Amino acid sequence: MTETTSAPAAPADGMAPQAIRAWLVDRVAYYLERNPADIDEGTQLAEMGLDSVYALTLCGDVEDRFGLVVEPTLAWDHPTIDAITAHLAAAVGGAQEGVPQ
Amino acid sequence: MTDLLTSEPTEESERVAGGPEGASDGEAGPLTDPALDRVAVLEALLGDPDDPANPLGLRAVLDADERGELLTAGEEALAGFGLGAEFVPVEFGGRFERADRFALLMRSLFRRDASLAIGHGVTSFIAALPVWADGSDAQRRRVAGLLRGGGRVVAAYTELDHGSDFARIALTARPAPGGGYLLDGGKQLVNNIGRAEAAVLFARTDERPCSRGHSHLLVDLGSPAVDRSARYPTSGVRGCLLGGADFTDTPVPADALLGEEGGAMETVLKVFQVTRCVLPGMVVGLGDRQLRTVLSFAGERQLYRGPVSALPLARATLTGAFVDLLICDALAMVAARTLHLAPQEASVRSAAVKYLVPKLLQDSSYRLGVLLGARSYVREGPYAGFQKTARDLPVVALAHASGAVCLSNIVPQLPRLADRAWRPAASGTRQPYDGSLFRLHDPLPALDLGRLELTARGADGLAALLPEFADDLARRGPGHSELAALAAEFTGHLADLADRAVALPPQDRTPLAGRRAFLLAERYVLLLAAAACLGVWRAAAEDPAGDPFLADPRWAGAALHRLAERLGPRRDPLPESVVDALFAELSARHEAACTFDLFRTRLATNGGPVKGVDS
Repeated sequence: MTETTSAPAAPADGMAPQAIRAWLVDRVAYYLERNPADIDEGTQLAEMGLDSVYALTLCGDVEDRFGLVVEPTLAWDHPTIDAITAHLAAAVGGAQEGVPQ
Repeated sequence: MTDLLTSEPTEESERVAGGPEGASDGEAGPLTDPALDRVAVLEALLGDPDDPANPLGLRAVLDADERGELLTAGEEALAGFGLGAEFVPVEFGGRFERADRFALLMRSLFRRDASLAIGHGVTSFIAALPVWADGSDAQRRRVAGLLRGGGRVVAAYTELDHGSDFARIALTARPAPGGGYLLDGGKQLVNNIGRAEAAVLFARTDERPCSRGHSHLLVDLGSPAVDRSARYPTSGVRGCLLGGADFTDTPVPADALLGEEGGAMETVLKVFQVTRCVLPGMVVGLGDRQLRTVLSFAGERQLYRGPVSALPLARATLTGAFVDLLICDALAMVAARTLHLAPQEASVRSAAVKYLVPKLLQDSSYRLGVLLGARSYVREGPYAGFQKTARDLPVVALAHASGAVCLSNIVPQLPRLADRAWRPAASGTRQPYDGSLFRLHDPLPALDLGRLELTARGADGLAALLPEFADDLARRGPGHSELAALAAEFTGHLADLADRAVALPPQDRTPLAGRRAFLLAERYVLLLAAAACLGVWRAAAEDPAGDPFLADPRWAGAALHRLAERLGPRRDPLPESVVDALFAELSARHEAACTFDLFRTRLATNGGPVKGVDS
């Protein structure tokens, strides 16, 4: 099986903001070939080298992981891991009312 | 074997089915296609290229190039034709409807003079796209009126310090105290900026390093505060007026903003898909001109008691160049049709065609130059047209997006394409065949710039057709066995590519991607080209009114053979019988003054001998 994508999860699975953030940290660390502990959730992705078309890849991963369709510009408009986490948590919360955080 | 020592047209039976006289069959579909009628009108306007008295002929084109000027008579003729209206969508009062037809129109011009094609307007087409995509009604009206009236709007993106690195473009537009913006900085290598009425300016409106930091501004260039005196001399397209502009505290009104502030990068990544699809289709005309020139030489120069073209190696080179033009055109036409039919997939395909077509043409230019010998660089005499095209081609090929930029747009998408499109197709989930991409004369839905996407989300309805093409060919019987074997081979390449793409290490999916990732992207582009050729062949073969040349499996087989050679490993050359048949077709088209592309339409000629410009 490929290591590019995790199997799409059921929408209710792993949707707590902490889980989203942890997954994003792992993903960014994966691309940058760095230790997840070295990834700062508040730093601009562009400053870490994930800008322009490369930030688009992360959106593909988000779609595959969470079974969502997101704007490819997600990481442009929400340019840090924290910002993406907040956006995704809100999007999922809106779609999944009553899911406990 | 075909007797190539005579200039008589060869026997029909020895040619690939059809021949130029069959061109009326090929044109049967589009008899009512006004876009193709306009191509014919433009071609007639350009006149016989070999007539030394033609003010738009190759002699005049070369003289203007020697002077480093655009051909004035050419500019006047194109203004009379109303070329600017071809850049304006029909909905805004212009004549642009179909990307594929637009490429064909401009191909005629590139076949005559790349300087004129670029210098009189392709850049206006590029510049206007963000206006159609994002502009207000007033901005659209203004640009439509300007272009329809013969004016110019230039695409002011390039800064020499930043090249293709749009994210770091430095010219700034900061808020002016009373509203609007103040511009500071410069643009360089902007075609026609010295004489254009307006510019679409790519400017930084946010200092932070991000993809929302740039905006498009539609700027009037009439202001005396703008210094537009720079001119950059170039090796190719020497007549083009590549200039620059410097802005210092230059005020522009708030309504100069095109679309939303910060939206320019997204718009660029979308609308440049259009230009990346159509430019290569145009440049096929330049390759056509080169082959035409060298074909004339090879038919006239005597060596070993016959014309050079009778020598097997020379004939193989010429035929190879012909097949490469067909490959280029197949990919260019399919890509242009993709813009209309599957815009969500165009991000990848546009990059692929903009990468491969210039590369094939450049390689071909080198080989043809070797065949032409010293005449490939001599700037006078009967074949002097060649050295101009050989200088023009690299400039035209690099312009707008280099091969490396194009591949780097594909690289990050490879794993998802593999996962979502190639692996399912290679493992038995057949993509249903829909010939609309490949039926070159079928009508197209309107081009909707709003449906272009930044990524293909792993969708690829072209390469994923390879297994289906192979299955279909396997059922067609012995007359198709060679093409069937090649299609099966490419299906294997697709499965292999998928395996390699999903195994790409993480860094190879980022800006730090190494050669391995770029090689995979390059292989992928070759598979797309193969699929385009197979599609064009199949659509013609299944169409009772299809062009008999395109319906013959031999050209497609030769095309896949050449693409397979690029994929490696080395293989035996094409069978001599196939080379002879294709060369006979090529010669017949040359004699009859028909194009060397998928359309083999007639070119302007006074009926004189097809020779170099001094003859």
